Amino acid sequence: MHHPASIAPPLAHTTRSTRRGWLGLAGLSLALLAPSLQAQTTPPAAGPAVRAVASFSILGNLVRQVGGDRVAVDVLVGPGSDAHVFQPTPTQARQVSQAQVVFSNGLGFEGWMARLLKTAGYKGQQVVVTQGIQPLAAGEHAHGHGHSHGHSHGAPDPHAWQSVTHAMAYVGNIAKGLCTADAAGCDAYKANAAAYTEQLRALDAEIQAAWATIPAAQRKVITSHDAFGYYAKAYGVRFLAPQGLSTESEASARGVAQLVRQIRQENIQALFVESLSDPRLIEQIGRETGVRPSGELYADSLSDASGPAPTYLAMMRANTAALTQAVKGP
Amino acid sequence: MTAPVWSALGPDGLVFALLIQPFAEFGFMQRALAGCLALSVSAAPVGVFLMLRRMSLTGDAMAHAILPGAAIGYLIAGLSLTAMTIGGIVAGLAVAISSGLVARNTVLREDTSLAAFYLLSLALGVLIVSVRGNSVDLLHVLFGTVLALDDAALTLLVGIAGVTLVSLTLLYRPLVLECLDPGFLRSVSHWSPVAHFGFMALLVINLVAGFHALGTLMAVGLMVLPAATARLWVRRLGALLLLAVLLALAACLMGLLISYHADWPTGPTIVLSLGAAYLLSMLLAPRGLVRHQHPGSRHRVA
Amino acid sequence: MQLGCDMIRPQLQLSCNILAPKPMLPEPALALSRPIELDNLTLGYDQHPAVHHLSLSIDPGSLLALVGPNGAGKSTLIKALAGQLRPLGGRLAGLERNRIAWLPQHSDLDRSFPITVRDMVALGLWHRVGALGRFSRAHHALCDEALDQVGLGGFERRGLDSLSGGQLQRALFARLILQDAPVVLLDEPFAAVDQRTTDDLLALLHRWQAQGRTVIVALHDLVQVRAHFPLTLLLARQCIAYGPTASVLTAEHWAQAHRLHEAFDDRAPPCPGVATSPWPPGREGPAHPVPAQHSQHPHPHSPRPAHPHPHRPTAEPAASA
Repeated sequence: MHHPASIAPPLAHTTRSTRRGWLGLAGLSLALLAPSLQAQTTPPAAGPAVRAVASFSILGNLVRQVGGDRVAVDVLVGPGSDAHVFQPTPTQARQVSQAQVVFSNGLGFEGWMARLLKTAGYKGQQVVVTQGIQPLAAGEHAHGHGHSHGHSHGAPDPHAWQSVTHAMAYVGNIAKGLCTADAAGCDAYKANAAAYTEQLRALDAEIQAAWATIPAAQRKVITSHDAFGYYAKAYGVRFLAPQGLSTESEASARGVAQLVRQIRQENIQALFVESLSDPRLIEQIGRETGVRPSGELYADSLSDASGPAPTYLAMMRANTAALTQAVKGP
Repeated sequence: MTAPVWSALGPDGLVFALLIQPFAEFGFMQRALAGCLALSVSAAPVGVFLMLRRMSLTGDAMAHAILPGAAIGYLIAGLSLTAMTIGGIVAGLAVAISSGLVARNTVLREDTSLAAFYLLSLALGVLIVSVRGNSVDLLHVLFGTVLALDDAALTLLVGIAGVTLVSLTLLYRPLVLECLDPGFLRSVSHWSPVAHFGFMALLVINLVAGFHALGTLMAVGLMVLPAATARLWVRRLGALLLLAVLLALAACLMGLLISYHADWPTGPTIVLSLGAAYLLSMLLAPRGLVRHQHPGSRHRVA
Repeated sequence: MQLGCDMIRPQLQLSCNILAPKPMLPEPALALSRPIELDNLTLGYDQHPAVHHLSLSIDPGSLLALVGPNGAGKSTLIKALAGQLRPLGGRLAGLERNRIAWLPQHSDLDRSFPITVRDMVALGLWHRVGALGRFSRAHHALCDEALDQVGLGGFERRGLDSLSGGQLQRALFARLILQDAPVVLLDEPFAAVDQRTTDDLLALLHRWQAQGRTVIVALHDLVQVRAHFPLTLLLARQCIAYGPTASVLTAEHWAQAHRLHEAFDDRAPPCPGVATSPWPPGREGPAHPVPAQHSQHPHPHSPRPAHPHPHRPTAEPAASA
């Protein structure tokens, strides 16, 4: 028994069981501390070889597919967040400064990236995954009216991943980038990329098949986010929108009226509330025309792990299913 | 009348095409007009009293003060009208009451005490939004547009208009006296705090209803601009209230129509219509800038 | 009925009205039922006394002038009587909150408010209509009559912002008339007003007293006081003298009053609670031997005016500190 006033008994007076207890506690503490101690030294071969940062969730998923276990990926704009109005936190600046590769979409998608890299003092490798892709201009996709958008006409549309073909190009660029950063793992990366590209090809075929059963004249969709230009071109679907790409431009009565008229005239059935912008305007249009909102489309980001679109493949499948279902009508 | 004038007024005519047809064809335009009507009837009189109490800038301050309440409502229940309205009202009332108590019982005056509390409230709101990690611009999600009024929003606006009109009728005399001669009111009755805090409550609910349904710009604009414009024309309080409401209504109508025909965003267009009326009044009204400087040469005998 | 006065211009109507029999406004009690009692009353701001240990009694129906040098506490006392200031010590009795008409020295009236003279004056009828009651024809007639009484006969529809200083003061008096209170408190009501208006309003005060109301007026102009006020209280933080005007407004009393230490003293000790002499202790003693008359009023415990009132015993002056 020990004196109540003392914090710990002197070792000379402990019983054997008490000493074992203290040693056990010390051992447990060391075991808990070990991983964090390890993380600050050069990681052994079993842990990730490369620290990478991806700008948004979709890109993060692709990088993980190619990198496998060798790459630890931090995503800046998480699922459900809006990359247009993203503000980095100090934690994220630290992640960037400790990374070896930074993956970004490019084409003006991440307006905040240049400043973040400068703030974090990042001098490492940057991979822009849209390298080599022929971009569409923001106004180039098919839609009904010359309405002003968040991006000016003539600026490129950054949402290239909506076409699976382009996603395959992304994967190629990612593999190249990882090879440059970590030559030792290059074979693994190439193998992962090839396997994943096969999956993407299958996906592309699936989507084409899904749309093939629907006559071209019926392939018209309304959504509040102007992000599906590449999807429209790749799979022959027309997307119409009341507002521009960003959530900041305010609607005018004329724009809404024209859209309502068009829906009525062309008998469009599909109305989608995009997860990131104001759904109330969409619902109003739905009320006006009798077309109920059909569900959710994932344009700029994945859903979280429990949702229907936690990976890129799942996202494209979910979008396509929702679109085709809505277009076919009740 | 000649034939062209008749035809202009008929269903195929120009007047119809310009003024009636947008509302006839589109339900959302009708709703927008109904919402504007409700808000004009309720916000413009509140704005007149705001002006008479020299608190016109309070509207903008209160807009920022309601943020934490609406943010908490959004975080609890998502894009729910009820939750965000209640949250906004609670936050707005808390700021209004606190600043009122401080102004009445310490050396600080109304403007300073309100500034202190609304800044606190705003900072708290921004903190709550940032800490939760959702980087969607909450302000844009919170504040709607007049083109997107659903049944719930319309009901809210009409309800608030009703409450405002009834309250203003009941509180009319104490409110007038509170603006005119608060010392006298204090000496003859106990209505002084009721008048003050009742008015602040009306201000908050009108602002919250306005923000939520119509956006920041419009709600404060509909309070302050019609009152200022009407003041340049009339001298009696009753006439002032009526003219302010009529101006607000007219500007809403004009703004909606211009937004429809010229493809301009609706909220700013309505406020600009109010602004145009204000500037015109500066030039033409008996109490405006121009007539004030050049009062004219004719005068009466006595 | 204003016999034959209808044809006369408004400026002359006032003197006409003094002569014509005035219909009494239908009100049960114009006079207080008991005197106003001040019992060891101390009033002040931030622990400094503006009025120190005042004890006196004001009979109903008095027309009392309140005089004293600057900083003597006149406005403070009026405010306390009006119920707008809580005493630091002592008590105040005999006043019913809603039956007091008070005209402060600096009113925070907003002169640019868009309201007509009649509507502003009509607010004096608050005690009858309250916040929600309707103004009937009879009420409007009362308003017009009140405006006539102060010589603003044709001003009903004029905007408040179009009145001159004297006219505004008259309008405020009209409001006081409508308040129809048994106690009327006025703080420097003639400060910014011309002679003719002053004369008219003084006549009004006399009429109020004739109706049995208690009228207390803080004033600077001793000529007015001597001419119009039978009763005077000379205040210099403490009561210097209280009684008939002639006996109060003497040279010695004024000398005492002018020795009042005007500024608040942050280093003054806490008051022991007993009445002290007019001079703060340790400062200036009497420059000359205390006159015999003065020994009767060293302390503010000489509450009664000189005329006898059988039902009130005279208080004994307390021992000096």
